[in-house]
Amino acid sequence: MSAPTTTTSPPPESPPSAKPHPTPQPALRTRLHTLPRHPLTVALVAALCAAVVGMVLVVAAGAELGSAWQALEEGMFGSSYAVGSSLNSAAVLALIAAGFTVAHRAGLVNVGGEGQLCAGGTAAAAVGLVLPAQVPTAVGVPLVVLAGFLAGAAWASIAAWLKVKRGTSEVITTLLLNFIGIGMVSLAVHEEALLRQPVTSSETLPQSAPLPTGAQLPLIGDVESPATAVVVIAAVAVLATGIVLRHTALGLRLRAVGHSPAASARLGLPVGRLEGGGLAFAGGLAGIAGAALVATAPYVLAEHFSSGYGFAGLVVGLLARGSLTAVAAVSLLFGFLTSGGINLQLAAQVPASTVQIVQSLLVLFIAAAMLFTTRRPGSRS
Amino acid sequence: MSAVAEELASGGVRMALPLLLASSGELLSERAGVLNLSVEGMMLTGAFAGAVGAHQSGSAAVGVLTAIVAGLLFAALQALLSITLRADQIVTGITANALALGATTYGARLAFGDGAGAKSLPGLDPLAIPLLSDLPILGPALFEQTLLGYLAFAVAIALALGFSRRRTAGLAIDAVGEDALAADRSGLPVAFIRYGTVLLTGITAALAGAHLALSEVHAFSDNITGGIGYLAVVAVIAGRWRAWPTLLACLVFGLAQSLQFAAPAIGLHISAPLLTTLPYVFALLAVSGLVGRSRAPSGLTVPFVRAS
Repeated sequence: MSAPTTTTSPPPESPPSAKPHPTPQPALRTRLHTLPRHPLTVALVAALCAAVVGMVLVVAAGAELGSAWQALEEGMFGSSYAVGSSLNSAAVLALIAAGFTVAHRAGLVNVGGEGQLCAGGTAAAAVGLVLPAQVPTAVGVPLVVLAGFLAGAAWASIAAWLKVKRGTSEVITTLLLNFIGIGMVSLAVHEEALLRQPVTSSETLPQSAPLPTGAQLPLIGDVESPATAVVVIAAVAVLATGIVLRHTALGLRLRAVGHSPAASARLGLPVGRLEGGGLAFAGGLAGIAGAALVATAPYVLAEHFSSGYGFAGLVVGLLARGSLTAVAAVSLLFGFLTSGGINLQLAAQVPASTVQIVQSLLVLFIAAAMLFTTRRPGSRS
Repeated sequence: MSAVAEELASGGVRMALPLLLASSGELLSERAGVLNLSVEGMMLTGAFAGAVGAHQSGSAAVGVLTAIVAGLLFAALQALLSITLRADQIVTGITANALALGATTYGARLAFGDGAGAKSLPGLDPLAIPLLSDLPILGPALFEQTLLGYLAFAVAIALALGFSRRRTAGLAIDAVGEDALAADRSGLPVAFIRYGTVLLTGITAALAGAHLALSEVHAFSDNITGGIGYLAVVAVIAGRWRAWPTLLACLVFGLAQSLQFAAPAIGLHISAPLLTTLPYVFALLAVSGLVGRSRAPSGLTVPFVRAS
């Protein structure tokens, strides 16, 4: 990539760079014309349609619309507890989706968030449990998070290695690794020789012992708010990946590999390392998400601790279509909706499945309309 | 010892049957280039619709019919999304599963009330085939199925033979899945073939779901499929996109599942999570070419557009 010695003319650079985007700046009229196809409009219409279905379902279940709305709103913004738990969910989603975006930039589809999250959570629990009980937070938390990152990255590296060395589709391998990861967690918490807490009676749950205080993610903000440092970690991760992808040579190289591995190889880029590194980084972020789930109350590794976050994060990543801003926005939306949905069930006796239906319809509508949505300049679909 | 072997065999076949049925359709649509992750949702929809149909009409046959219709509708939605609208197949598949889980859970509340779900639906009873069912070990395993169980075998074998690579129809499916553009240029109806295979998957998956609800437990419970649909997709991958290896994979997966119940009887301590994870490890080894040669259809998950 080194430029030829640049004592010669700078002008040759300018003719191609005069037109940075294939389309010139759109005039106001064309902007109005494309308004119905703008991603935001599409998302809004999809949300509206899904909301209408949701209202029908709420009424059909015999609840009142007004009280249902109140319950939903209360579950989202009603208390600092609600906001805190929404932010926690959003942060976990954002970590996975940000990783997905990095791998996607290099042309790989990481379906394996769930498995990488499981690997990260298991490693975090293993490291947290061998730490001495008096470990200071400044040492314990970084170690646990690092363990999560490394394990998630290692888990994704299996798929990356198979992709680079043997050409096996990463879609299928990461998908399979999800189920293996889920099985691994369940194996670890069922065997006393692994991570299961000491069995004292027949009622001992198959889960790990709680992490020591020093390995637990510190709470941030309000006393009543369960928001933890994962919110900060996720914000930093999203911001940093955004900057790296957009403003650094590494980001440009990843994009080049994503556009055309053959052309990038001819330019001398280490295609395999960039692809594999992108996927491993995606796994690492998902692993941090797993570590964060384990290091948040109740501070144990248990079966189903992932609660499907890996799959939900994948959906967030795909809906965001390569934009880190969109990753943040969609994660927040999903985080708040999930938390509101739980309250909807508790307070208004609306079945929790209603929220699940509305959320999946929202995703399906947006995915269905993708074909008619204008692309953001500079992104590939 | 032979009692254990008998139990193992019949348990294995019982677990393998719905898998076999669902993956026989899924194999076709994957060969045609559509990765139907929504098999799980199709099965769940089939199980629910079958239960509702049988509950309302009092007849299991009507239940099977409603299951097929519901499976077709669900598959049509998936086909519309992934073929015509060219939406991402992974996202729509996973999301369609979530939708099916939500909708059937919600629907079960309305249809069967808050009680313990549909208790004792009119279901199908096992029909033992005389003589054959007296064979040692395999007899009770294979020849004491319900009508739907026998149908499952028949459908799986018919699909494997009818769309094998040695037949025009099977070749057409493979051509579409390998290179849709070339298939289109040589005059094959790409969209038609893809729609056909996805709808077929809808039927087989819905039958598999109906089998779970109507001939095994005679009841519907939330998330009754519990991941069998995903396992069917994995069986196709482990079977390297070929009919007979896929069938074999289904049987092996079924045996692995039943081993976790039979193992304690022979004093064997095998961790249950380990056994349930084995199929996925096996599939990973198969697909990565570490065990034998394997190649996915090149056009898997790639939507087709004619215009360049």
